Amino acid sequence: MTILASSPSMSAKLALIAPEILLLAGAVLVAVLGLSRNASLRRAVPLVTGLFLVGSIVVSAIVTTPERSVQAGLLMPMLGGYAKALIASIGLLLVMVAGPSIDRRLEEAFDSGRAAFDPIRVMRGEFFSFFLLSIAGTMLIATTSDLIWLFLALELASLPTYVMVAVSRGTRRAQEAAVKYFFLGALSAATFLYGFSLLYGATGTLELQEMAARLTQAEYIDASGVPTLAMLGAVLAILGIAFKLAAVPMHFYAADVYEGASASTTAFLGFMPKIAGVLALMVLLPVFGDVGRTILVEGQSVTMPWLPAPIAAVLWMVAVLTMTLGNVGALLQRNVKRMLAYSSIAQSGYLMIGLLSGPEAGFNAVLFYLLGYGVTNTAMFAVLASLERNGEDVETLDDLAGLRTRHPVLAWMLAASAISLIGMPPLIGFFGKLALFSSAFEAGQSTLVIVAAVNSAISAFYYLQLVAVPMLGQPNARTETVQAVPSAWPRLAAIVCGVGVILLPLGLDRLIRAASTSTEQLAQTPVSPTDDAQASATGAAR
Amino acid sequence: MLELASISNLANLTPAVIGEAASAAIPAAVPSPEFAWAGLILLLPAISAVLCGVCAAMGVKNKLPGAITAVALLAAFATTLSLFLKMPQDAPRVIHLFDWVAFAWTGQGATWTSFLAPFSLYVDSLTLLWMLFVTGLGSLIAIYATEYMEADVGKGYARFFGSVSVFLFAMGSLVMGGNLILLYLGWEGVGLASYLLIGYFYSKPSAVAAAKKAFIMNRIGDLGLALGVFLIWMNYGTVEYDALFKALAAGGEGATSEWSKAAIPYCLMLGAFGKSAQIPLFVWLPDAMEGPTPVSALIHAATMVTAGIYLIARTFPLFALEPHALTVVAIVGCATALVAATIGMAQYDIKRVMAYSTVSQLGYMFLGLGVGTTFGAVYHVFTHAFFKALLFLCCGAIMHGMAGQLDLRKMSGLRNVKGFGVISWTFLIGCLCLAGFPFTAGFFSKDSIIAQAFASGNPTFTLLGWIALFTAFLTAYYTFRVWFRVCGGPTKYEPGDEMHGHGDDHGAHDHGAHDHGGHGHGGHGHGGHGHGGHGAHEWHPHGPRLAINGVLLLICAGAILAAVPSYLGEMQHQPNWVETMVSHSSAAGGIPSHDHAGGDHAAHHALSFTGIADVHAATSVVASAAGILGILVAVFFHLINRGAADRLRAALLSNGLTRWLPLALENKWKVDEIYHVVFRLPAWVLGHVLHAVDKQIIDGVVVNGTARLPAELGRLFQPLYNGALQGYAATMAGGIALIAAWVFWIWMQGG
Repeated sequence: MTILASSPSMSAKLALIAPEILLLAGAVLVAVLGLSRNASLRRAVPLVTGLFLVGSIVVSAIVTTPERSVQAGLLMPMLGGYAKALIASIGLLLVMVAGPSIDRRLEEAFDSGRAAFDPIRVMRGEFFSFFLLSIAGTMLIATTSDLIWLFLALELASLPTYVMVAVSRGTRRAQEAAVKYFFLGALSAATFLYGFSLLYGATGTLELQEMAARLTQAEYIDASGVPTLAMLGAVLAILGIAFKLAAVPMHFYAADVYEGASASTTAFLGFMPKIAGVLALMVLLPVFGDVGRTILVEGQSVTMPWLPAPIAAVLWMVAVLTMTLGNVGALLQRNVKRMLAYSSIAQSGYLMIGLLSGPEAGFNAVLFYLLGYGVTNTAMFAVLASLERNGEDVETLDDLAGLRTRHPVLAWMLAASAISLIGMPPLIGFFGKLALFSSAFEAGQSTLVIVAAVNSAISAFYYLQLVAVPMLGQPNARTETVQAVPSAWPRLAAIVCGVGVILLPLGLDRLIRAASTSTEQLAQTPVSPTDDAQASATGAAR
Repeated sequence: MLELASISNLANLTPAVIGEAASAAIPAAVPSPEFAWAGLILLLPAISAVLCGVCAAMGVKNKLPGAITAVALLAAFATTLSLFLKMPQDAPRVIHLFDWVAFAWTGQGATWTSFLAPFSLYVDSLTLLWMLFVTGLGSLIAIYATEYMEADVGKGYARFFGSVSVFLFAMGSLVMGGNLILLYLGWEGVGLASYLLIGYFYSKPSAVAAAKKAFIMNRIGDLGLALGVFLIWMNYGTVEYDALFKALAAGGEGATSEWSKAAIPYCLMLGAFGKSAQIPLFVWLPDAMEGPTPVSALIHAATMVTAGIYLIARTFPLFALEPHALTVVAIVGCATALVAATIGMAQYDIKRVMAYSTVSQLGYMFLGLGVGTTFGAVYHVFTHAFFKALLFLCCGAIMHGMAGQLDLRKMSGLRNVKGFGVISWTFLIGCLCLAGFPFTAGFFSKDSIIAQAFASGNPTFTLLGWIALFTAFLTAYYTFRVWFRVCGGPTKYEPGDEMHGHGDDHGAHDHGAHDHGGHGHGGHGHGGHGHGGHGAHEWHPHGPRLAINGVLLLICAGAILAAVPSYLGEMQHQPNWVETMVSHSSAAGGIPSHDHAGGDHAAHHALSFTGIADVHAATSVVASAAGILGILVAVFFHLINRGAADRLRAALLSNGLTRWLPLALENKWKVDEIYHVVFRLPAWVLGHVLHAVDKQIIDGVVVNGTARLPAELGRLFQPLYNGALQGYAATMAGGIALIAAWVFWIWMQGG
């Protein structure tokens, strides 16, 4: 019934998710290719993955039009354009990092004839198939129009990552990490699913646009702007999604999982689930409020702030705790991957600042920040993935001592990305933080900015270790055994990302403009009359 | 015709009404985009600097950087010349090149709502005059340096010429910039170039120390300039000359406070004194002679050190507003002239004598500004640029040929040495100009300053005039002391080397300088030269070649021709060309009455005992007499009866009452030592105390203590991250519960 009533919106939605459909097809193809007996076909798996990602960027650029987005009844109509291009582009870089590492030993064994080909043992096809599925799920979040869709997209983004962690290294630690990740992920999914159900109970609809409309109507709300049930649902949904961001209090898994997975998978975990969580919050938060929204309370028209106070308070608290615990935790680490795990927790805290600062400047700043973060994060893990010690990942800071003397380019790229993460001009990280902090200032969140600035200062302490140890440290007997992996792809990715960290500010104006198209339609065309009619038709149908 | 008309207008003004004349005399600037090619004057040296940098990076092993710089500077000179010929000089021209600093804001109660400093040029006749000799001398000295620095080809050659190009760019920005921010950019730029070039021989500790000294002394002055620029903006809301002069003409509307307005000239003065080496900031300039000699000639004699005079001449209307400012300038200038001249008398290093004479002559220029003759000051800048550059280049050529010898006791009769003829005679011309010998360029320019001191009728200025006359006598004496010692008398010399400590390190590269052919003595061994002593009988000084000799002759011609404007002015009653130039600029307010018929003020002037009614003519006579007397004394002590000078010194030293005099002079009045005790020592002590505080308290307790806090905090939470799945799940659930409870608490509070 619903489907019939909203069939024009359905066709628009189907068109909008064409990139994801393409990736789905790609996932199937890659899974089959990976099982091929022919070694060169198996070797082509990363290449095919990359081609499908490029294809999805192209298709996304073609199908994402304002008319279609409005027709699809999206709360954030233009979010998809920029976000999908960003996800797929970073995905491409991640393919370069991960490509050669999966099944490397096994393929060598096959090549040398030490082992016969065994389809049960090859993992490359599965890995990249799940890789594409997760990316497709992440992209789907950007075009979410209802809670079911959001839940399915979030799970599509998450479930493959559990498998990826498990198969990434084939060691017990990786499997332990995957199990932890899976169980805690399930806990978080249960949390936000419960939140969603409360939201449905409070408003009687799953459509986000409709829900937002109902939350402005007098029979649903009280003076604070949100009914109690919806408020509780919102808090649970936000906290559940916080798991994807690795934000407090759902951040506990991060260090263990990052450490357990291979560097290339960690690079994926550092970015994809994070942007998935951010996009989910971006489509969810405007349901509860919008800048300058007026509601009728006992016949009086009241102008609401961007978010109702309790929800803003949750985000505020989560942001502060996440930044602080992340940075403080990172201070104690000697293991680079654990350090970067805590650093990524802290980065989520900064992202929360932008989410809290409102759907225009704040969201734009977050989307722009994610670009810089994605490139920098990939650069760092690509450097780690380019190195190995006795066939194992490079783990501790000591392994990196004096890297400059043996692999100067990698050391420079690591230094550039660490400095960018501190937020030093003129690197991309500085401009990201600048946009975030200035949007927060405009939104009146000066306390948050001060907390974030103090945290940035603390973070300099451990980020600078990533500069000082490779650049100034003395190589020792331990680092003698550290060498570059045979494949040049991770190094290439490191160089591309490192150079990007340095050169992206040159296109600053264009990038910021691209990011700000994401929120364009939101404020200008709230709900067109036809959509109103449709929404009421949907309501009547129920 | 127009020029004549404005001169006759000016003739009606007396110095007493300078202040009123100042703002009225400046015509509004005309925007002239058609002269945008004048930007080449800045662009060419900038390109040359970049190319020299590329040469240095590529390790070019030939004279390419020198050639690039010489060509670029010659082209800049040609551009300046064509600008001078093509641009009508009736009104200043503003050439907007591009927007640069542009801030605008809105606000309740804001006095000013913008801060604009576009990259524009303000070109009037003062600018053109300055740029003509800056680029002209700059290109000539660059050509000279191509030969002079050849020992360093492939080593510091590109660095040297790169720095020279940077200097020319910065000097252009300083002089041509359309606002005080561009002036400041140039001001700091020339300071940087000066620092780099003084410290050119960076492996020599004395050169490094001299470079730092120059830089720090200039910093003190620059603080004054920066404050001055800020106060100007605060009071007048603009840093652009044109708008500033308009605001001044309108009476400085919107000015915030009287004291800040009154402080402007004193702040600018401090900047000028630092850059132009006046008391109390003069001690850096003699030490700056550690740099290669072409640099001494270009930067530390002819151009950069006159930036202070340019600054005051350019902002003269501001000085005219404040009654005592110009008096202070005059007193400081005169005192510097005297002190530096006395020190110059007792130095043995000929480059140092010239350095002190530069300080002394700069003092004259400030005296000229102070007593109210911007024309005299600017004219002296102009003539001094030529003859002092000539003198330095002669010193450099002597040094180049004599293996770094600079001690006037160890050289004699060079005029008879083969290859030193051009040097000796051009050196003589330079000395005559410096001594103010009648009818040389220096004579006219110096006299116009001294005459104005007497003509003003102000008793303070009259006293300063007498001091200036006495200084003129000293100047003539010490100048010819050098010439008679070095070029006169019997031929006798010994080569210098690094051990003497007088060279500017050129001695170190001396062998390289000898090893090229073409100056007539190639082929014999040079192995022992650097070690002095035994090498004297087999060592031959080598005369310079075309590049040095040609430039010496050209600059000598310039030094002679610099007197031409005065000949035309005095003899043929045509307007003095330089005076016309100055009168069409913002310095016009400082041009005194130009009245040969004898004005009312001239009737009772201090020199009336000569029986000459006209104060200018009287000054000429008295000053000539002082100059010639100085030369005669020098002839006696240093040509005819050289022993007498030593005997006089011995006699003074033996008498307890006069003992201090030669010692004080030889030790430069112990100014460095006094500064050391009064400023450096307390600063050193304070620095160490603060360092200890920083190390122990700030770093030790505050910083490290704070840094330990997050780590301790982290350790506190560490048990939560125990790696156990159940623990994580429980903590997460607990966290959710806590936050949900907290939200409900907010809810209950009615948030």
